[in-house]
Amino acid sequence: MSGLLQLTNLKRSFGGVRAVDDVSLEIEEGTIFGLIGPNGAGKTTLVNLVTGYVRPQSGSIRLQKSTGTTELARRPPHTVAGLGVARTFQTLRLYRNLTAIENVLAGMHLRRRDDTLQQLVPIAPLLREDRRRWQRARELLARVGLDPDKFGDRQAATLSYGDQRRLEVARALALEPHLLILDEPAAGMNPAEKDRVRTLIQQLNQDGLTVLLIDHDMRLVMGVCRHIAVLNFGRKIADGPPATVSQDPAVITAYLGSQAQKSATHVPGSEEMDVATSSPASTEPASPLLEVRDLAVSYGAIQAVRGASFGVAKGEIVALIGANGAGKSTILNALSGVLRPHAGVARFGELDLTTAAPDRIVRSGLVQVPEGREILARLTVHENLELGAWARRDSHAAHREIEALMRQFPILGQRRDLPAGQLSGGEQQILAIARGLLARPKLLLLDEPSLGLAPQMVDTVFEVIQKIHNDGVTILLVEQNALRALEIADRAYVVETGRILLSGTGPSLRRNPEVQKAYLGG
Amino acid sequence: MDFFIQLFTDPIGFYNQHELLIAQIGINAILAIAIFVTFYSGQLTLANAGFMAIGAYTTVLMSLYLPTPLPLNMLVGALLAGVVGFLVGLPVLRLRGIFLAIATIGFVEALRLGVILNVPITGEGQGLKNPTADPLGGILPILISVPVLTYLVWRLTHTRLGQAWAAIREDELAASSNGINVPLYKMIAFIISAVVAGYAGALETHINFFVDPTEYGISRTIQILTFAVVGGTTNVIGPIVGALFLTALPEIIRQASAYRDVVNGVILILVIIFRPQGIVGRGGLAIIAPRWWTRWRSRERPAAAH
Repeated sequence: MSGLLQLTNLKRSFGGVRAVDDVSLEIEEGTIFGLIGPNGAGKTTLVNLVTGYVRPQSGSIRLQKSTGTTELARRPPHTVAGLGVARTFQTLRLYRNLTAIENVLAGMHLRRRDDTLQQLVPIAPLLREDRRRWQRARELLARVGLDPDKFGDRQAATLSYGDQRRLEVARALALEPHLLILDEPAAGMNPAEKDRVRTLIQQLNQDGLTVLLIDHDMRLVMGVCRHIAVLNFGRKIADGPPATVSQDPAVITAYLGSQAQKSATHVPGSEEMDVATSSPASTEPASPLLEVRDLAVSYGAIQAVRGASFGVAKGEIVALIGANGAGKSTILNALSGVLRPHAGVARFGELDLTTAAPDRIVRSGLVQVPEGREILARLTVHENLELGAWARRDSHAAHREIEALMRQFPILGQRRDLPAGQLSGGEQQILAIARGLLARPKLLLLDEPSLGLAPQMVDTVFEVIQKIHNDGVTILLVEQNALRALEIADRAYVVETGRILLSGTGPSLRRNPEVQKAYLGG
Repeated sequence: MDFFIQLFTDPIGFYNQHELLIAQIGINAILAIAIFVTFYSGQLTLANAGFMAIGAYTTVLMSLYLPTPLPLNMLVGALLAGVVGFLVGLPVLRLRGIFLAIATIGFVEALRLGVILNVPITGEGQGLKNPTADPLGGILPILISVPVLTYLVWRLTHTRLGQAWAAIREDELAASSNGINVPLYKMIAFIISAVVAGYAGALETHINFFVDPTEYGISRTIQILTFAVVGGTTNVIGPIVGALFLTALPEIIRQASAYRDVVNGVILILVIIFRPQGIVGRGGLAIIAPRWWTRWRSRERPAAAH
């Protein structure tokens, strides 16, 4: 047995949600182990369970080293770290106001002698040890590809995004770990930076480090991992070498939606033609309601959208599909005025969306239903809808509309006086859509309406979307559940790393193998 | 202006004339060091006035009832403040940010209203006369303590302990992933802060004839907080500069001394708006430049990147 880390029947739920549901895994020593799964599958919770940030409700986590086996479950994070399990965080967690070197030095905390009292009177031999540590920190920076002369004394917050990610790895390495857990190390990176991350992971592994890699970028995960486990809704649905996992029907369904297999196996020979018919020119609307050209959006150093162009004509359902982190939500947020693009054109009728204030955009008829629904959990269903109509001047008409919505969506009518937080995820989604409708949209932007919903609830939500569309509302839909979205969409665009990769009519894209590649890697 | 002219032309005369002011600046500087230690570890605690009271009352009560020498009394006062700090810290340090601040203010008020004003031995609301008071001789220990404590705390911020504090301040979750025992190091900072504040309280009784319970309330706590905010907390010099500046100011501008709290409030607001990192920022003493000014200047220069 050379399993370094063994998880047995691990369980953890939050409220009613089973974030990690009876997961067992074994990570061999010296391997690169990949953990993948759609958004909300429980990957980060699993990492938090292993590293002590979240306590499991049942199950065990065993770390097997040459010196013996240790149970990690229910130990505090600093103890787990002391046992040789280092991690990075999905959202960067550097010591932003400290320099790069100071970040690494803090990471050495457990691997240095405690000489606090001697340090109060600094004499030469003690300073020599200080210098030795300093030198070691510089070596670690160099190891992850950060030039210590250039970056060592820079404040962590001033480094570029990719360099910050690398610094976090250097800080984790300072712990001299047996197991390094990387939680989405390549998130938000461009392809060149991703290549450097891949090389770094492989180098660290060659030096004898066991790596647990969590990432959405399938090319990266499939490329470097020797073994992959797939989570969905907190359960492990597949486990094995990359080639087996990427062909596993359960995995394809989890990533692409329930229709995936039929369509994915439908392809023999016809793909060439499909790609040809889906060239952008043939399907672009002539006089679009919404027109976007070369849109570029950045979060500080991260460029999330790099020149996206598309259009939506009146009466259409248009879908933007693509893997997590492709930049889909960023595009929507830039259209609704929540984010400001730094280049490009976005016009909605006569309105310039790149400069107009968000409230002006809403009043002109472009309304966004945000990802994660953002309903007000403590207010009742009815109060949530009233707030949706708050900006309306014609309050009587708005009240009639609220009553009409209650009849139209009985799920809401039956629960009108219930706190919205008690609704199920799908019901909350419908409430969020209904709230959006009260702003009288001409174009409704829906961001991941099926996110985290059980399959039958996904059906209900998509029925609602079609109903609204039949009532004359144009819809721009962002979805990870690609095949469901393509079923109802007139046209769709596939987004990858901030660019439009493909476009075409819904049916043509459903048969296109490139779509599956964009999700599961080539 | 006379204030500065005398400071530079006649330092001995200045010292003799302003002895009490200098002593008060020293006390406030030590309190500033106390709050710095907790700030440096990322904790907004406002319990210092309470620990001061413990140091002060312990010293005076021991002088009144025990034959022990004064330095020992002061030491016991400071250490007792540390012990109480440990006991208070056990429940309170689970809290963060504003909740920690409120809980520690609660401690200060509970101590003053619940213990000091109700226990006969503390003189209740009357306060206590200090038999060992020595306004002039008491200055010397203060003048020695300030540089010694400054040096020790400055060194401390460069040790393994200090690095752990800085890591906790920057990001607790990340600190624990680096193996830093966050609750332990927070507690160490809280206790050191309590001991230093208790010591300042003991020193203060030594220059006053009287221990006055009204000295140890919320307004004292807020005053100490102001030193830290105005001076800046990236560096131990910051709060000390803040203490020096805010204690001396009413003397420099005599007309303003009646409006001391108003002036302090205005300074606090101006610093928070225009120099949130405090007078002494990371780069040492810096000219006060508002953020819009630097933005405007960087816009004038052609953007280098992109």
